[in-house]
Amino acid sequence: MTDKPLALIIEDDEDLCEIFAQALQAANFATETIRDGKTAFQRITEEPLPHTIILDLHLPQVDGSQILKQIKSNANTSGIRVVITTADTVSAELLRDEADFVLVKPISFAQLRDLAARLHPSRKTGPLGHLRSG
Amino acid sequence: MRLFSRLTNLEISDPDDARKRKLLNILVISVFVFTTLGTLLATIYFATSQDIKLDDLKMVYVSGPLLILGTVLLYIINRYWSGQVAGYAFLLLMLIVFIFADTPFELSNGRSLFVFVIPITMASLLIRPMASFVFAALSSIEITLLALSQSLPPNAPAITGFFLIALVSWLSANSMEKAIIELRTLNRELDHRVEVRTRELSEALTRELIEAGKTQAILQGIADGVLVFNQENNIVVANPSMGIITGVRPNKLLGMDLQTFCQREEIFAEDRPRLLNLLEKPSQNAAAIRVRWNKKTLSVNAAPVVSGLGETFGSVAVFRDFTREAEIEQMKNNFVAMVSHELRTPLNAVLAYAEMLRDAIFGPLNTKQFDAAQRIYVNSQRLLNIISDLLDQAQIEAGRLKIQLAQTHTVDLIENLRTVMEKPAHDKGLELTTEIAPEVPTTITCDAHRIQQILVNLVNNAIKFTSQGQVSVRIFLADPHTWALAVSDTGPGIPPDDQAYVFEPFWQVESITTREHGGIGLGLSIVKRLVTLMGGDIKLESTVGKGSTFTVTLPLQPVLQEEESK
Repeated sequence: MTDKPLALIIEDDEDLCEIFAQALQAANFATETIRDGKTAFQRITEEPLPHTIILDLHLPQVDGSQILKQIKSNANTSGIRVVITTADTVSAELLRDEADFVLVKPISFAQLRDLAARLHPSRKTGPLGHLRSG
Repeated sequence: MRLFSRLTNLEISDPDDARKRKLLNILVISVFVFTTLGTLLATIYFATSQDIKLDDLKMVYVSGPLLILGTVLLYIINRYWSGQVAGYAFLLLMLIVFIFADTPFELSNGRSLFVFVIPITMASLLIRPMASFVFAALSSIEITLLALSQSLPPNAPAITGFFLIALVSWLSANSMEKAIIELRTLNRELDHRVEVRTRELSEALTRELIEAGKTQAILQGIADGVLVFNQENNIVVANPSMGIITGVRPNKLLGMDLQTFCQREEIFAEDRPRLLNLLEKPSQNAAAIRVRWNKKTLSVNAAPVVSGLGETFGSVAVFRDFTREAEIEQMKNNFVAMVSHELRTPLNAVLAYAEMLRDAIFGPLNTKQFDAAQRIYVNSQRLLNIISDLLDQAQIEAGRLKIQLAQTHTVDLIENLRTVMEKPAHDKGLELTTEIAPEVPTTITCDAHRIQQILVNLVNNAIKFTSQGQVSVRIFLADPHTWALAVSDTGPGIPPDDQAYVFEPFWQVESITTREHGGIGLGLSIVKRLVTLMGGDIKLESTVGKGSTFTVTLPLQPVLQEEESK
């Protein structure tokens, strides 16, 4: 199982964590979940670095947008694909250009699974356009 | 001099009489003074010279005191009784004095004839113009008597001369009196006019003061801060509320110019240019702006002060303490964001679990189980749509929805729509037709995401209300500057009476359809708000029983309409 790419799920809602994990596992990712911003902020500096991060914006302690900034400003982590998940359409608009993908909640299982499948390193397609739901 | 004028002036109402009596007073006093001085000089001369006999001075000592007594008497008569009588008496006294002034011959036929001119001319000035003739006659009698006393014939040329002088005196005095009377009338009219004008002015001033008092009272009492700028953009009025709201004493603001005012450190730096812009270009229709002043939020509005003739002479700015409202608005925005998150998150979980169940992620389901999962899924979706509509509405009202313009392929608009809406239409047995008119440019400047929202909303509605037939979407040019999106259906149509209300929030034709079709009717009102935000318009044409067409028109070169915050 260790050869599967790692997806880090940063989401404070337990149920959504579970759903996102199921969707990413269905797309053949290994998953790790973090439920608060502070831990997440620490985790992104440590090995093993994830291939993909599913990042909720509304997090306890440290805000998701700060984590996004940290990931994108560090050379080690800037290559990580970041999928923002948010319920706030305005925040979604603001981060449209900063994140790789923005998904507006509600996020369907199939939607995330299919997106993850396209992000999977085994797929050799070119860069994807922005996907949006709403 | 003051003593002299007190002696000569008389308090008499008739100005002509006063003038004549004053003149007589001057003459009488002069004669009195000269006679007194003459008598004194004669006495001194007599005392120092031995050659003069007392007999020579008999005349002086008789006539001198007599004249002095006469003048005092005349003065008293003139002052306290009658100017006319005094005048006659004075001139008569003069005629009598003349008898002793020279020899009878010289007086009647010689060098002293001229002295009679004095009483004749003076009579016209002292008594009345006609009195000249009286003294011409008296003088004639006197010289005739003097001539006869010398056995000479009356001096006819002199008498003729006296009357001629009287005539000239009479004429000149007469015209002078007339001129004086006219002048006096003129003066009186002028005085009257000045009086009337003064009264009018004082009345106007009083009225003005009352009006100003009212305006002042309003300015003092109003809860809003008011600043008035003159044409040079200096503050000329700052009311007490301005002081209460801003914490700056109104007196300190007076005379300050606009630039200095807008640079005050109490004003949040970012708000200064906006405030300056508003106050520099006041307009009757300008929307109020928010300015943060220390810890307060102020709503500021400015309008030009225009006279009745359309002349602008300054501007007035009104400052309202908006702190509480701003706080409430902030709370509302926070509430919207909170609800947005708190409601969607659990619903998202419900939705996704139902989906996962239905799609057999956790193992195969029998038909009834699949059906139950599907029902949970569909109903959660409905609930979510309602919440989304409500939140969109709240966000539009909070002015948080932004339009982002970009070059968009016209084909993409239709393609995206088909991707989303083809299945729902097909599921209901309806045909979804799409068409782009050939004259439409291949790319259009618009916010594709918002256009998508509008189209999905309109098409969704059309599908919802149409039971058979088709839903068609058409993109075309309404005119060279405007492109249009038309969504038509073959549904029941909307009665004319209801057509005006379809864009109101929470409206739907009949309550039964509400339950049958779901949704709470926010869709169309949001569509309208979005269209307005993009500088466009939306119209509805509908025939009951035949169907409805919603047409959205948008400018090809869009100018964003700033949605004002409420």
